[in-house]
Amino acid sequence: MLLEVDHVAKRYRKRDGGEVPAVRDVSFTLESGRILAFLGPNGAGKTTTIKMIAGLVRMDGGDVRIEGRSIKGSGRVAIGRLGAVLEGSRNLYWRLTPLENIEYFAGIRGVPRARARERGMRLLRLCGLEGKAGETVQHLSRGMQQLVAICSALVHEPRILLLDEPTLGLDLDAADRIQAQVARLAREEGVGIVLTTHQMDVAEHLSDEVVLLREGAVVLHGLTQEVTRRLGGDSYRFELEREPGQEQLARLTGRGALFDSPRSFRLLLREPRDFYAVLRDIEPIGVLGAGRDTADLATVFRHYVGNGADGEVQP
Amino acid sequence: MIWTALQAELRRELTQMLRYPTELLSEALVTGIIFYGIFLGSSYMAGGSILGSRLSEIIVGYALWTLMLGAIGNMGWGISMEAQNGTLEQVCVGPLSLRAIFALRSLANLLYDLLLTAMALLLIIVLTGHRIDFSLLEIVPFILGIAVSIGIGYLVASVTVLVKRSNQFLNLLQFLLLFLVMTPFTDLKGPLRFIAVIVPAGPQMGVLRHLAIGQSRFPGEAMWLLLAVVNALLWTFAGYVAYGRVHELARSRGSLGHY
Ligand SMILES: Nc1ncnc2c1ncn2[C@@H]1O[C@H](COP(=O)(O)OP(=O)(O)OP(=O)(O)O)[C@@H](O)[C@H]1O
Ligand SMILES: [Mg+2]
Repeated sequence: MLLEVDHVAKRYRKRDGGEVPAVRDVSFTLESGRILAFLGPNGAGKTTTIKMIAGLVRMDGGDVRIEGRSIKGSGRVAIGRLGAVLEGSRNLYWRLTPLENIEYFAGIRGVPRARARERGMRLLRLCGLEGKAGETVQHLSRGMQQLVAICSALVHEPRILLLDEPTLGLDLDAADRIQAQVARLAREEGVGIVLTTHQMDVAEHLSDEVVLLREGAVVLHGLTQEVTRRLGGDSYRFELEREPGQEQLARLTGRGALFDSPRSFRLLLREPRDFYAVLRDIEPIGVLGAGRDTADLATVFRHYVGNGADGEVQP
Repeated sequence: MIWTALQAELRRELTQMLRYPTELLSEALVTGIIFYGIFLGSSYMAGGSILGSRLSEIIVGYALWTLMLGAIGNMGWGISMEAQNGTLEQVCVGPLSLRAIFALRSLANLLYDLLLTAMALLLIIVLTGHRIDFSLLEIVPFILGIAVSIGIGYLVASVTVLVKRSNQFLNLLQFLLLFLVMTPFTDLKGPLRFIAVIVPAGPQMGVLRHLAIGQSRFPGEAMWLLLAVVNALLWTFAGYVAYGRVHELARSRGSLGHY
């Protein structure tokens, strides 16, 4: 197994003596060439888990194994097998050019210069950045910087790539380019990829598997297709005559309704007869249409994370 | 791997320096002007007679201090900036520990600082026509002094990783070190001499001072040289151990980056 995350947990101690249970219990595995989307609302513990895998945050319990080797203790060999681009916008040396950055990160990871140059140029070409190889990073756009950061994380040919919100704050075009690279890495080079994102369309489009985190624990883990298909049967779409009022809105979002316009929403029903409960919720607004629908990841997400939508996943 | 990493550090440092040559030039200019000032001042005060001796002492002391300043700069402001930018965490993900990488950075920086200082000195010598006689023997305590600056670098790195914004502390430290390096603790009498042993680069400066006044033989020479070795080991080791501890603490707090 390429990556095994085995019951990791993390409590942060705060200055005032209190504790934040950022990650309670997270386990999953990842094989070569697979893309795993690591989802969850703000503060769910995604970044903390990613940093534990990368050895940047010390775990309180559990273990992380890379190709069977624990990252604990003398785990530098294991950590050398992964690359990561962490949250934040400036993961590069701004005074250096893309190629110089790549060469530097290659060097500190034991790649000789000639090979680093060769591989760096190839990576930049694949990202369509060969023309920018000689400009300092500070003069590149956010999207290009992010691509260069990914190239820098790949130059020592890691088997695992961790990406924390790789498309955050990027325009559509830049996000597309990142997605294309991520997909290519997995399909063509067999890199195992864990990425976090709040953009459900990105996750749905890219990932083979999803892990959904809530308050530091896994509430859903499965193949992306299966998750959406399995829940698809319970997914309904409603179209209303007019916008619902405050109170109705609160009830609907409480059920995990996801509005795609002010007058239409989707939700997952726990039981078929809840359909009538929803109708009572929206009474007396006229219903233009209501029926089954295929679920998308956003609906699934809302179903599991939305405020109290599901009794099972209450902590 | 250590070798490719050292090369990478040297190259990154050089590229960043050369990319903004005005900064480099102004730095070299300041060093040059200060050296020149030392020359003028000492020849004025001494009327030229004991110039060669006192002068080289001051210069060696000043050179050692600038090297320590370099270490403070890189391990202090440098790291605090990288923690904010996010490069610190990126550097951390890899087969080399951050502690090892910091050692390489210190080395790379020392090398460039030495080169810069030497060049400034050479320029002054050429311009003024003065000669200073450095004996080969001075190299030993000087290198032992450099070892101390690596230790100090680690200590500064420790403080920076812990508190992130350590500007006041670093400013203060600069002058504290200047005071410590320039004060002749080795001339203290009795048990107070012990201070000279533990003060950063204390014995090293003592030996240099004696060599500079032309006393190639002085009382307790062998002992002070030995103490210089002890002092160098002490500070390097203290810095190394302290950083290891702090790194684990930061990992535990999740505060390696900018949180
Ligand atoms: N270094 C730290 N010290 C103390 N608490 C922290 C630290 N880092 C994170 N936390 C807290 O731990 C919890 C989990 O944070 P984490 O950053 O892992 O969440 P996340 O899922 O990445 O959220 P987001 O989607 O906002 O990025 C949050 O409550 C956060 O405030
Ligand atoms: Mg996060």
